[in-house]
Amino acid sequence: MRLSILFGGRAGQGPNVIATIISKILVERGCYVFLSREYESLIRGGHNYNILTVSDKEIYSNDIKYDVLIALDDKTITVHKGELNKGCIIISEKKGNMYFAGRLMKILGLEFDLLKKELKELGNFEGNLEDAKEGYLQGEKVYDFKLRKNKDGFFTGSRKIAEGAVKSGLDLYYAYPMTPATPVLSELAGMQEEHNFLAIELENEISVINTALGSAMTGAKSMVGTSGGGYDLMTEALSMSGISEIPLVVYLAQRPGPASGVATKTGQGDLNIARYGGHGEFPRVVVAPGDPIEAEEVVSQLFYLTQKYKFPGILLGDKHLSESFYTMKENAKITKSGKLTKFKRYNSYEHLPDGTYTEDPKEVERMVKLRIEKFTTIKKDVERFQMYKVYGKQNSKNVIVSWGSTKGAILDATKELNCKFIHILYLEPFPEKIKKELKGKNVIVVENNATSPLSSLISEKTQILVKNKILKYNGQPFYKEELMKEIKRKLK
Amino acid sequence: MKKRDIKTGKLTTWCPGCFNYNILAGVIDVLEPMINKEELGLVTGIGCHAKIYDYLNIDGLNTLHGRTLPACLGLKIGNPNMKVIGFSGDGDSYSEGISHVIHAARYNADINLVVHDNQVFALTTGQPTSTTEPGFVDKTNPEGSKLTPTNPIKMMLGLNTSFVARAFAEREQVAYVLKEAMKHKGFSFVEIIQPCVIFHNDKGYLERVYKLEDKGHDRTNKRMAMKRAEEFDYSFNSKSKIPVGVFYQEERETFEDKYKILRDFKRKKISWKDIKR
Repeated sequence: MRLSILFGGRAGQGPNVIATIISKILVERGCYVFLSREYESLIRGGHNYNILTVSDKEIYSNDIKYDVLIALDDKTITVHKGELNKGCIIISEKKGNMYFAGRLMKILGLEFDLLKKELKELGNFEGNLEDAKEGYLQGEKVYDFKLRKNKDGFFTGSRKIAEGAVKSGLDLYYAYPMTPATPVLSELAGMQEEHNFLAIELENEISVINTALGSAMTGAKSMVGTSGGGYDLMTEALSMSGISEIPLVVYLAQRPGPASGVATKTGQGDLNIARYGGHGEFPRVVVAPGDPIEAEEVVSQLFYLTQKYKFPGILLGDKHLSESFYTMKENAKITKSGKLTKFKRYNSYEHLPDGTYTEDPKEVERMVKLRIEKFTTIKKDVERFQMYKVYGKQNSKNVIVSWGSTKGAILDATKELNCKFIHILYLEPFPEKIKKELKGKNVIVVENNATSPLSSLISEKTQILVKNKILKYNGQPFYKEELMKEIKRKLK
Repeated sequence: MKKRDIKTGKLTTWCPGCFNYNILAGVIDVLEPMINKEELGLVTGIGCHAKIYDYLNIDGLNTLHGRTLPACLGLKIGNPNMKVIGFSGDGDSYSEGISHVIHAARYNADINLVVHDNQVFALTTGQPTSTTEPGFVDKTNPEGSKLTPTNPIKMMLGLNTSFVARAFAEREQVAYVLKEAMKHKGFSFVEIIQPCVIFHNDKGYLERVYKLEDKGHDRTNKRMAMKRAEEFDYSFNSKSKIPVGVFYQEERETFEDKYKILRDFKRKKISWKDIKR
């Protein structure tokens, strides 16, 4: 069983609160929930909505044909009326928002006490309880979930990036607010007291990265977070991290660009700035996790690699991973890392090993060579990690390839299709071994962008030309049904 | 542990007669007695001033253009026991890195910024900076620079900087002002006025310079400090005097003292590198 519920309303009306409460209860009762959030770049008004997809089997994406529509305002109905499944239940009373939660609890066949427990965590308990009771009494049981003992957690990518950083021994996190990177800053700010580290906001991204590098020089494990525009501002210092050999972990949370783009939506347009941003030639690692648990794991891998080899490591995420809730087992494998950075003489200029400036051609060549050779060593060491993962039918002639948060929708969409799915985590260095998985196959690349940088990268690294591309670039993530249709069309 | 010599012994590449030699001498006078006793951190930006990084044997970073202050702040947060000194120039601090200067005044971390102000972009062969006088002619401004200069001392006082001083690039004066700055708990802003012997020669600085301490200037009086700051407008239009010395000083809570963990580090003489997790 798999059904989808849409919660819509104006910003400030709280569709997000109801959706999160119901999701938590469903997960607690053993259901699998995928909850995503769509909002606009405004604080009050507009049209915000959450999509809750629930199933008795593992799911990692949403459907956008709804079985229940919770409309806190009329606009929700106008906007989504074309997306309703047959028999969709529409609830659009002019009531307090916990009325809707109560009514939905009844429809989903859940005990009222579970909601009561959640309401205790919010303010205005008496009022909310009354509204919720009214809704519950007016509802009718429609669904009956086979409940099981819950063994899973329910969390966003941002939460797990923060936890991964803390488990890796984070000392200092610096950021300037920018959607969709800010949730990691908020998560860390909430954890700093208990775990004895600091999350600090500074005047701009240039200051953020330069301050972080200053701290990293003293031996502190340092990390910064931003989105595309902020990352552009940081790239000069990223290049300095490369030449001066100061370790740094950079979280780049993508949203659609160029420039200010679509501030609160998702996209994968920044693969190339992650791989190439910053002037000059220097080693770097770029990793893009496909879900929160992978995010937690790769953060720890980045701390390990950057501390060991003293260079920048980039965690490439996006809004969909950052803000969507996943139901998953909490079984991340954390890679331990030491604090290996010594305070000594560092330099943004080409320099001798003692940190002093040099222009001597022989010395310049020697130092460049040392850094390039270091990248060869890094490439080898990275192989200790899973650089890509393979899912689906191993011997199928159809191979889907993707990176980042498209993973969830692809897993859900291809469950019953004849295809293999390769999800690439390490985009720099690139796992050239995948050539043997792609050779002679019907390769289909799926990306949340318009120009398919992954296809170009595959061609560059494997000399295999990608002809089939499924691209989406309207600010939304892929949804299961639409993606399944697109993939079916391209299967051989 | 082997005693450290403050000089690296690297060949200096400033021009003959450059006033940076005087600054270097004054800086060594202050830092040499500290080098084997204190944890020192050195940061420089980009410009002629930054060559000092190669001559002072102190750990730190010769960072990007304009980014001296973020690196200084990073060092201080990384290790609050470190005495951090950052060198910068007028191009570095008043143009490329101006945003950091404004916020450094607000953060008030216990760091020292020394701005070599020769009123010209010297290492890029002589273009006007934001403190160059109007009428200054170079290849990029054949008709002469048209803009009114910034007055950095006034700016820093306006930003509520907790320590504001100026020196002329002369050994004893540099040493005096820097010593006062290092003693100050909080963000210290020091501007060093200097000619550039190639691109912005002496405009009669020495006849104009007088010492604030000789005039009985009260460094806790902000209003008087502002008045003194206005005496020199960097344009050389009138025969105005150039006051040097400490304009203003006020003790207030530092950035690092606002965080319990950083206060603990100071008390226990440790830093993040000693925290095992």
